[in-house]
Amino acid sequence: MIDTRHLLDRRNFLSYSVNGLGGVALASLLGREGLLGAEKLRESAAGKTPLRPLIDAANPHAPRVPHTKPRAKQVLMIFCSGAISQVDTWDYKPELIKRHGQPMPGGDKLITFQGEQGNLMKSPWEFKPRGQSGKMVTDLLPRLGELADEMCFLHGMTGKTNTHGPGENFMCTGFTLDGFPSAGAWTTYALGSETEDLPAYVAIPDVRGTPQSSVNCWGPGFLPAAFQGTSFNAAQPVRNLAIPGGITGTADDATRAFLQRQNHRHLQNNIGDSQLAARIASYELAARMQLSIPEVTGLDNEPDYILRDYGADQSGNKIKDLRAAYGRNCILARRLIERGVRFVQLFNGAYQTGGEGVSNWDGHKKIKEQYDIHGPVLDQPTAALLKDLKSRGLLEDTLVVFCSEFGRMPTFQKGASGRDHNPSGFTAWLAGAGVKAPFNYGATDEFSYKAVEGITTVYDFYATILHILGLDHERLSFYHNGIERRLTDVHGEVIKEILEPA
Amino acid sequence: MQPPLQIFFSAILAFSVNAFAEKKEIVETSDHWSFQTVATEHRHNGVDAFLDEALAKKELKPSDRADRVTLIRRLYLVMSGLPPSPEKVERFLNDDSPNAWEKLVDKVLASPRYGERMARHWLDLTRFAESNGFETNRERTNAWRFRDYVIQSFNDDKPYDQFVKEHLAGDALGADLGTGFLVAGPYDIVKSPDPNLTLMQRQDELADIINTTGTAFLGMTIGCARCHDHKFDPISQRDYYSMQAIFAGVKFGERAVKRKINADQEKELTSLRDSLSNSERELDLLRRVAAENKGDNSTLRPAVNAKMNTEIFEATPAKFVRFTIKRTNQSEPCLDELAIYDTNGKNVALAMSGAVATSSGNLPGYPIHQLAHLNDGKTGNNWSWISHQASKGWVQIEFAKPSSVNRIEWSRDRDGRFSDRVAVDYVIELSIDGKSWKIAASSADREPYAGKTDPNAFLAKLPEPEAKRAHDLLAQMKRTRSRMTDLENGVKAWVANFSQPGATHRLYRGDPMAKREEVPPDALKVIGSLNLATNSPEQARRMALAEWITNKSNPLTSRVAVNRLWQFVFGTGIVDTPSDFGTNGTLPTHPELLDWLASDFVEHGWSMKHTLRLLLNSDAFQRSSQPNSAAGRIDANSRFLWRFPPRRLEAEAIRDGMLTVAGTLDLTMGGPGFHLFEVDRENVVHYHPKEETGPAEWRRMIYLFKIRQEQDAVFGAFDCPDGNQVIPTRNRSTTPLQALNLFNSRFTMQQAEKLAERLGDHQDKVSHAYQLLYNRPATTEELTDANNFIGEHGLKAFCRAMLNTNEFLFIF
Repeated sequence: MIDTRHLLDRRNFLSYSVNGLGGVALASLLGREGLLGAEKLRESAAGKTPLRPLIDAANPHAPRVPHTKPRAKQVLMIFCSGAISQVDTWDYKPELIKRHGQPMPGGDKLITFQGEQGNLMKSPWEFKPRGQSGKMVTDLLPRLGELADEMCFLHGMTGKTNTHGPGENFMCTGFTLDGFPSAGAWTTYALGSETEDLPAYVAIPDVRGTPQSSVNCWGPGFLPAAFQGTSFNAAQPVRNLAIPGGITGTADDATRAFLQRQNHRHLQNNIGDSQLAARIASYELAARMQLSIPEVTGLDNEPDYILRDYGADQSGNKIKDLRAAYGRNCILARRLIERGVRFVQLFNGAYQTGGEGVSNWDGHKKIKEQYDIHGPVLDQPTAALLKDLKSRGLLEDTLVVFCSEFGRMPTFQKGASGRDHNPSGFTAWLAGAGVKAPFNYGATDEFSYKAVEGITTVYDFYATILHILGLDHERLSFYHNGIERRLTDVHGEVIKEILEPA
Repeated sequence: MQPPLQIFFSAILAFSVNAFAEKKEIVETSDHWSFQTVATEHRHNGVDAFLDEALAKKELKPSDRADRVTLIRRLYLVMSGLPPSPEKVERFLNDDSPNAWEKLVDKVLASPRYGERMARHWLDLTRFAESNGFETNRERTNAWRFRDYVIQSFNDDKPYDQFVKEHLAGDALGADLGTGFLVAGPYDIVKSPDPNLTLMQRQDELADIINTTGTAFLGMTIGCARCHDHKFDPISQRDYYSMQAIFAGVKFGERAVKRKINADQEKELTSLRDSLSNSERELDLLRRVAAENKGDNSTLRPAVNAKMNTEIFEATPAKFVRFTIKRTNQSEPCLDELAIYDTNGKNVALAMSGAVATSSGNLPGYPIHQLAHLNDGKTGNNWSWISHQASKGWVQIEFAKPSSVNRIEWSRDRDGRFSDRVAVDYVIELSIDGKSWKIAASSADREPYAGKTDPNAFLAKLPEPEAKRAHDLLAQMKRTRSRMTDLENGVKAWVANFSQPGATHRLYRGDPMAKREEVPPDALKVIGSLNLATNSPEQARRMALAEWITNKSNPLTSRVAVNRLWQFVFGTGIVDTPSDFGTNGTLPTHPELLDWLASDFVEHGWSMKHTLRLLLNSDAFQRSSQPNSAAGRIDANSRFLWRFPPRRLEAEAIRDGMLTVAGTLDLTMGGPGFHLFEVDRENVVHYHPKEETGPAEWRRMIYLFKIRQEQDAVFGAFDCPDGNQVIPTRNRSTTPLQALNLFNSRFTMQQAEKLAERLGDHQDKVSHAYQLLYNRPATTEELTDANNFIGEHGLKAFCRAMLNTNEFLFIF
């Protein structure tokens, strides 16, 4: 039990909070009241005043009000690590099929990440019309293709780098360099959480390992650690969650009770210190998580048909095993969304167990052989997840985001049977709360090389996602080293065209 | 070299006429407080006089002095980062002398623990870590030398101006290690033939150096002007690129840090060379004995290996040596070093002795693989040559003059990390005229290569006395080699490498493909100019900047420095945006005090210990930290220091503190750090948290091998920065993950057990625990509660709980 007798009222609570948490909020609060002559509200580079969330140090994840009425309350991001090829999935180009095997105009002068270009290559998987809308999607992802009517495609995505690490940093944090807060950290910093017993932000790494820029993808950067993603998946529990070996639940409870008695005795002598109260509260929340996380990761009570839909019931060969493992992560993602976790980041693909396309989407040399494994692993479970979310009504309040660090070339690499990196034009899609579907926004050129229409930078992408969450990307900021930092740096335009009328 | 800037900031007062004529649109005036000269006349003298006046003005009543136990604990936690032992507390409590506190302050500042503590803050500020970051995140195995340099500098109370100069231009001041600062940041080693990417990577590297220099020493966010003129401060885009021109010759990598050798050392070197030569000969004989002992009558030499191969032959006069590789175990051949010894045991192949290397061709595009690395005296993959052809190639060394040579050492990777690209079929030839060649050694008389083998496998083939002898010889040679490397090359360290750069241009919108006018190396225009030519020598550029920054009249440097010390002591600076003294930062709460401290600091030879003494001996530092709701309503965070503001300890101090009270802390200083990760090295390095730690990992956390991105599994969650960003102030968040880590981790359980063992020796375990953890006796209520709890759940459970308590984890 938390003893709240010693906590002061809300205002004093904040005023005792420390730098980085309430301190920021405090600064503006007191600054307005003229209590601290030194404080002033800084302008962000956009010339707009920051709207900083008021954070209660004792409960940094308390739900907070967005800037405007949100279309979505939660985000599920599906991230295909290694750069999934738009050419072989969503971006249909008849001209590429027609000029298959011919050199790409200007391709001889083009040096991409690994070097020189071979000829234009159509996808080895056939494009077919899908759904009511007849959206052309390849046979690589037939089940997802069936759901094309639910999707809002951004075909004119562009990146800023053609290296995986910086690319994943860019797509996850808005900066190519290391050390910036992830989109999920920004979101939980702004909005807190709707769940009391689970982390506000969960990253679900692929069972094969982490993406190339690893924990950067869900790191807090310079935001307080409270807003970092907690990483676990259906196979690997949260570290240090379990009661240490050899200790019974009763003894564990008794030890915590003793600890809290000691902390409360100490608090008596420091009445009103919210930092101390916050630590006391954190042990109670930790104890609740010890019950709630195993509950959410334990899929035993999922009915058979769910396991079947997600492909989580099969095993026996490489594809089936991987699909089952990813399928279990997909079920976990749905369960987290169901329980109100603010931001869920689900990864498909990993670097540790094999770069260059072996365990991820980085199909440089043998794209057919490699994607013939990755496609079936991704397709069925992701499609099941989307359908499941919809049937449970969860898509109403959840924005689903499908993305990758960049795309791939319409050519094969010189002397290889795969495609090199391409940040000049690639595809992401959104589904769920508040976005038009079926809808296509933006386009690449005739070959799917360069975005030429509805060009969508990663800044625009996040300006839009934040907008859907009811957040003004120019005002959501955090002061760090002299700069009001934003997820969108000093750029970004909300893509209004893809939003359903409010 | 240009003389240091003389007039400097006095120019600010008159700047608007000239300096801004060309950039009028940015700022019309700069009357911003931090650009004004530091006041030299003061209304008060001493920290408390300024503080008390401000308190009175705010009608804040300062709290009483804290009790002595709280004080000594506070002093130790703040300045050494470790709780004091009960014995130290006892001694202080019994010291009745009037200057007992001052003596204690001096003692704590004199302890080497002080440097370790301060270094943590400094390394946060200089974004130091021991891996490259980005996706490959490879280790920097000798970056720790910069960490040790920082610790030592603090402990020696090196004058701050000197310290800063050494960071920027230590190579000019006999303090190369200081330049570890320049390259302490992340470094992307993934290169591509794509020229856009390569240029952008370089721009990012330089931006990191400029940002860090600007924020750490000047409290100026110069990096904001990379793409456009600064939005808030009088810093133009041109300024940014002028600053870039200063650092344009800085390269990442490790290098030998120079060391002067005296006559005695020269003599020692000669005898070491002799010894090595003799040992090698004897060992070669033993290898032959081993070969004969195989039982198959084979007299072949052992197969080649990646780490070290020796060729011994009759002394032969030669001016040319050619090493031809006919086949490798895989890929293009790689040699990290080709050392050729004359009969005096001197390596005559070294470039620095005038020898010249040529080759059949070199693998393009990799700065770490160059022909120059073949005979540079540096070993390891990062200093190696790779041929441009698969499986074959040749290299040739031409000596400065003909020499009589009799021994060659070559290797693929002396560090033993890589074992591909090894020459398995090769021939080494000598020539005096470069025309007629004589074979000196080849793979013909070696065992065939059969995969990665232990180069010392032959030991097993030797009878006992010979085996022991060979073993001793190997050990001795290793020592000799390392000593010789020390003497000849100094030590290897991850510090800046330098080369004369080409022209630096302003880049439109920061785009490396959009070059505009050329800019000279310079400091911030608003303040003045370094007056350097565009082609100034590289080192002179950095030296000029260093002099400019540490010039006594620079109004930023000393203010920024004393503000950091203030923050270190009181938790928040007088300016609470310690790395931004620009117009977007906040104003000082006590501007006059800041100026008094800054000028006093410079007057006292930039001594950090001097300023710290002032702060620690102040009444403000010694006030009780008890909350007081009346004062709290006026000044909640105690920025005016009506009380000492309490705060949670940082990750490192928590871990160090747990080890201290458990009696397991190893206080060994310096040297390579300990690992909390199992390291899985391939092209990309993966780090897996260690499940178990032992005494090797029980050193102070400043000695943790600091990996970018990957956080320690227990303490990372306590807002521990990863070295990717400059961190002037630690966040202090409170999260349930912290609670889980500290309550359930194996580390806690292990230290709880050690603490329990330690208490086990005591008559009154509970009382002693309170003394160890809190430096105070337990109350009657606590004694009863604890003893009842121990009776039911045991001592270890009690220790586990105590290590998690607020009183243990906060500075009060």
